[in-house]
Amino acid sequence: MSTKEIVARCEQLFEDLDFSAVKQWKAAAPGRKAIGYMPIYVPREIVHAAGMLPVGVFGGGDQLEVIQGDAYYQSYICRIPRSTLELGLTGRLDCLDGMLFPSICDVIRNLSGMWQILFKDKYVKYFDLPQTYDDATGGSFYVHEMQTLRADLARLAGREITDDQLRASIAVYNDNRRAVRELYAYRAKKPWQAPTSEVYLLLRAGCVLPVEEHTRLVRQYLAQADLEKRAQRDNARVVLTGAFCEQPPLGLIKSIEMAGCYVVDDDFQLVQSYLLEDVSAAGDPLEALSRAFLHHSAQTSSKYDEKKEDKGKFLLHQVKTRGAEGVVFAAPSFCDPALLERPMLQEVLAKHKIPYTAFKYAENTGQMAPIREQAGTFADSIKLWSAA
Amino acid sequence: MTTTIGIDIGSGCVKTVLFRDGAWVAKRVERIRRRDPMELAKQGYDEVLEEARLAPSDVDYVATTGEGENVKFATGHFYSMTTHARGGVFLDPQARAVVDIGALNGRAIYIDERGKVLSYKMTSQCASGSGQFLENIARYLGVAVEEIGPLSKTSQNPEKVSSICAVLAETDVINMVSRGIATQDIVKGIHLSMASRLVKLLKVTGITKGKVLLTGGLALDAGLLAALQEELVNEKIAGLETVSHPDSIYAGALGAALWGEFRHGKLKELQQRVAA
Repeated sequence: MSTKEIVARCEQLFEDLDFSAVKQWKAAAPGRKAIGYMPIYVPREIVHAAGMLPVGVFGGGDQLEVIQGDAYYQSYICRIPRSTLELGLTGRLDCLDGMLFPSICDVIRNLSGMWQILFKDKYVKYFDLPQTYDDATGGSFYVHEMQTLRADLARLAGREITDDQLRASIAVYNDNRRAVRELYAYRAKKPWQAPTSEVYLLLRAGCVLPVEEHTRLVRQYLAQADLEKRAQRDNARVVLTGAFCEQPPLGLIKSIEMAGCYVVDDDFQLVQSYLLEDVSAAGDPLEALSRAFLHHSAQTSSKYDEKKEDKGKFLLHQVKTRGAEGVVFAAPSFCDPALLERPMLQEVLAKHKIPYTAFKYAENTGQMAPIREQAGTFADSIKLWSAA
Repeated sequence: MTTTIGIDIGSGCVKTVLFRDGAWVAKRVERIRRRDPMELAKQGYDEVLEEARLAPSDVDYVATTGEGENVKFATGHFYSMTTHARGGVFLDPQARAVVDIGALNGRAIYIDERGKVLSYKMTSQCASGSGQFLENIARYLGVAVEEIGPLSKTSQNPEKVSSICAVLAETDVINMVSRGIATQDIVKGIHLSMASRLVKLLKVTGITKGKVLLTGGLALDAGLLAALQEELVNEKIAGLETVSHPDSIYAGALGAALWGEFRHGKLKELQQRVAA
């Protein structure tokens, strides 16, 4: 497949709000089950080891009209829970046998409760993630949480999930994470060869494809993208942050690029790059997953920073290692975690004299002109007035 | 020897300029008239190269501005605020603000002596402060666009129109025509209403004294220039002087070419630093 064909396939998967790929996967063999999960992070290895398909549900995007979903939330709540409810209430998520709601914020926690009431025939779990990071407390809590999930999914699958199966799944996901890391590294090196609008679609394909297929697709894209000769433009290199939960519309990503920015790092689809290193595929698999989460995972605003001096450390690291010249804070409207953390991160950037700009969006934002203008003037200010 | 080309795709015209070692060598302006702006950009690019007797390989940086983000052969794109500011200082080094009035938008930009944008304010989406609106009115009144300025200056009793909405303003004009108001008074009224909006934008930028250079497609409209000066007096802003320049329409393209030259130097410097 050429780059164009790969991107077209990913776009088709991205636009398909009926989750046909999931239905096809289930139909290919009797008894197959699929488990949905919301952003930001769940240990997909456990779902995979149960022989099930983990399906990322990242809201309805800009193509879904929310009618019923609006009745469940006040106007000052972000859009992703409404559009996710809309997906559920209109039967689009009927292909899922369960839903996992990881701890992101109160809104998603409430959504997990609503899901239990609305979809009584489905397996629903609020998947709590630790907010203390020592192995004795946070670790044992997290291992217990994963053990519960493992037991629940084993019941649903009608079979045990063995340690060997978990270790094999860890190895499969390690490979996927390596492929995603290669993709991010390649984009940072040659952002004109791998535009973020394409990289994003490729990541989104990982929501619905089996992980092995997704890994192959990412590597195929990398090989193909490098063969193409695309024009390099004099753009500003930026890190985009704040978009870890409700995703921006594809048009917004394209607008930022069109405005003269090369996005060289981001926090879209964090689940695929949350664990920064390989998880040990030897020993106790849940302990290994726990250690990776506690000690080698990305910083994000829905995760507590134990020490004040650690605030912004990860963002600074992204800026430095990716050779970024500035930061674009793009967060969904009413996203408490991202918007409350933003001033703290901005303070850190100001201290390090890293320029930044900030705006809000919703997954169905349609007016791109103001964002284009803002991102464009930001890129200009970096190119013309920065000290470098 | 550095050669840069600046292309400004506006909503009414495509403007192209070529610079060679800091000297302005060639210029082109082409009205869009329902044609593909991308093709006109390529045409302008080819024409300035031909005029300068240069080949594409001689060009170090092609900079676009305005709606030129999608020009495939561009090296980089700069936003209109940035380019009009730089182009304004190039055309008049004393300018400390630029008022860019194009076919679709108007914007006031407060700048320093280097052409750095200190603050700016744009008209909202309503088109009543724009060149397209003025052109429409001229068509209703049966007046050629180039006659608008001189005609406006002959007005004795200007009749002000709504300064809020293009639709309401057009209704106002129809009413005025049926009431028998003289064409020059209608035109002057429109100029005053546009000037009133532009002066408000200028005030918001925070500038209180210095030269204000008009750029964009309406910069050479003598009637608008006079109306702006009158509005400044009405608003008791004594420290500002509005001026125009024969090449004001090229300000965006000029700024793009000049920033392109700057960026070319900077990128070269970065490459040398990396190599060292």
